[in-house]
Amino acid sequence: MGHIIENLRQFWQFTGFANFQIGYLVMIIIGCIFIYLAIKKDWEPMLLVPIGFGILIGNIPLFAGLNVGVYEEGSVLNILYQGVQRGFYPPLIFLGIGAMTDFSALIANPKLLLIGAAAQFGIFGAYAISLALGFDASQAGAIGIIGGADGPTAIFLSSRLAPTLMGAIAVSAYSYMALVPVIQPPIMRLLTTKKERLIRMKPPRPVSPTEKKLFPIIGFLLTAFIVPSGIPLLGMLFFGNLLKESGVTKRLANTASGPLVDIVTILIGVTVGASTQADQFLRWESVKIFIIGACSFVIATFAGVLFVKFFNLFLKEGNKINPLIGNSGVSAVPDAARVSNNVGLEYDPKNYLLMHAMGPNVAGVIGSAVAAGMLLGFLG
Amino acid sequence: MKHLKLFLAVVGLTLCFTAGAQSQNAMRLNEYLIVNTADYQDDFGQQNAWIELYNSSYGTVDIAGCFLSDDPDNLTKYAIPGGDLATKVKPRQHVIFWADNLPDRGTFHLCFDLANAKEIIFTKGDGKTIIDRIPVRHDLGENVSFGRTTDGIGSTDGSGEGWEVRTSTSPAHYNSKELINKGSKASRMKEIDPYGWVLALTAMSVVFVALILLYFIFKAIGNANIRAGKKRSAAVAGTDVNKSAYGEVPGEVYAAIATAMHLYQEDDENHDEESFVVTLHHTDRTYSPWSSKIYTLRETPQVNKRRR
Repeated sequence: MGHIIENLRQFWQFTGFANFQIGYLVMIIIGCIFIYLAIKKDWEPMLLVPIGFGILIGNIPLFAGLNVGVYEEGSVLNILYQGVQRGFYPPLIFLGIGAMTDFSALIANPKLLLIGAAAQFGIFGAYAISLALGFDASQAGAIGIIGGADGPTAIFLSSRLAPTLMGAIAVSAYSYMALVPVIQPPIMRLLTTKKERLIRMKPPRPVSPTEKKLFPIIGFLLTAFIVPSGIPLLGMLFFGNLLKESGVTKRLANTASGPLVDIVTILIGVTVGASTQADQFLRWESVKIFIIGACSFVIATFAGVLFVKFFNLFLKEGNKINPLIGNSGVSAVPDAARVSNNVGLEYDPKNYLLMHAMGPNVAGVIGSAVAAGMLLGFLG
Repeated sequence: MKHLKLFLAVVGLTLCFTAGAQSQNAMRLNEYLIVNTADYQDDFGQQNAWIELYNSSYGTVDIAGCFLSDDPDNLTKYAIPGGDLATKVKPRQHVIFWADNLPDRGTFHLCFDLANAKEIIFTKGDGKTIIDRIPVRHDLGENVSFGRTTDGIGSTDGSGEGWEVRTSTSPAHYNSKELINKGSKASRMKEIDPYGWVLALTAMSVVFVALILLYFIFKAIGNANIRAGKKRSAAVAGTDVNKSAYGEVPGEVYAAIATAMHLYQEDDENHDEESFVVTLHHTDRTYSPWSSKIYTLRETPQVNKRRR
């Protein structure tokens, strides 16, 4: 009997209850909120469900030596986490994004590319704020990339520049991407007049298959020559797009945009979530990162909308751009474009901006990858 | 199309020349020692005169094919051989050449020494363009070198500006203590740019330049494509170029879309008479014990989303 009681007492020490700390409970609640927002509110469910459940996985109190934790070398979770740490999941996701993305809107009206460039001010605004708040330059660069509104890019860059902050940066980036429909509309309304919101843009011209095939090749060569450090992201993005547009690799394109990206999304979501262990995540730094992340989205939206207003000064009547698509220069595809469309429809129920907004939206993906390459080049 | 080809050629050539120029031109003669009795040793355990080169750029530079010489009338005296990975000098790093007149000992052993040399000259792969040169001082004494005060900074014309006599040599290492202590790129960046504005402006300029170039290229391609489409249409349908040319959508298409949207938005009652035909689609389900009906009993739940 004594042995049984002793075994049970020993077993109790193995349980999560015995190793419980309040921080784990906080993180479990955060994980549950993510899952709730995904299921009930339909906010980025493909990301928030894996991340939310990953947070639950990562915050079961453990004692060291069980070799199951994400930070314990050789554990299954640790092996899966290598894709995040070594940065090979994000390029694979970019491959899938490329195979899913239709760049037609951008090719039809290439001046929309510039909006995608302007919105990257969010990255560098956040970089400056991070420096002012006492982060070192590489940490500031990793935090700044939240403003690119691109989860894989944020993970890729933070794994290189500030691995210890990666969990907070990834969760912050994905959270604010899910909150794009909440953050952006008030800023868009604040910066535009009613007349500007009613601008109707010319319908985009049809784009030939040749142009669609040329875009990924020329786009890659040009951007990669300028920013070679962005090759992992840019290369895979444009390669995925060529698979889609070439017309001869349908099976590969389907795999890249379907099963492959789904598998990697599951792995990246769960492991990033699991990396937010309370002892690693619940720090004052994480709070600062969340505040800076919010600022970066606000700056990016400001920059995008104001840039369109500025750009319109040089465009002839009839060619003007509706500034409501300025917000979609952040690369949260396609949520930011959907926000442009929905806000536009509030003021003119027949003014569909979605296709126009997709141009700067996909340009934002390219712009944020180029900006990430720049940060890696200067700070890596 | 002609303009596009010209533009692409200019961009391509510019990129090629920039890449080439940036590389070897960034190399600098950085330090040399003539009388070596108690200084750096080579792989053979011998102490000889040495010359240090420094890659002042932020990219790797391959110096294979360049030349080192002690004679202004013979710039190609020692050709740095190719095929040796060690000739690729990493960014902001140094490489040492032994001026021991023993070229058989390997890539980094020169075919001259500095005992009677007047000048050290580093020349580009074309054998004519001098990248850097420095006079040889014979008044330095034993184990005293002549080197740049700050690595890579100073004259390249042989005037010796920015060079100093160094009693404490630093072969294959930074001459400047500041550079040694500056640590990582990130910490240097924070020191140079504490508020982040310089990096922000630099990076934003690059992002804009990249996307503006893309804009010009695709504007040109688009225009060329529209013109080609019009020509094709004209060839097929006489002079009526508006029927199927790229960039011109026939009015019928707009009319059809507008009618459909009007009916959809204005009059929901159009759908009051349905066909009542139910179509059963076969559900494609790859067999696996995990998806078998016997084991799962019910389908994966799917939330029915309202139309946005």
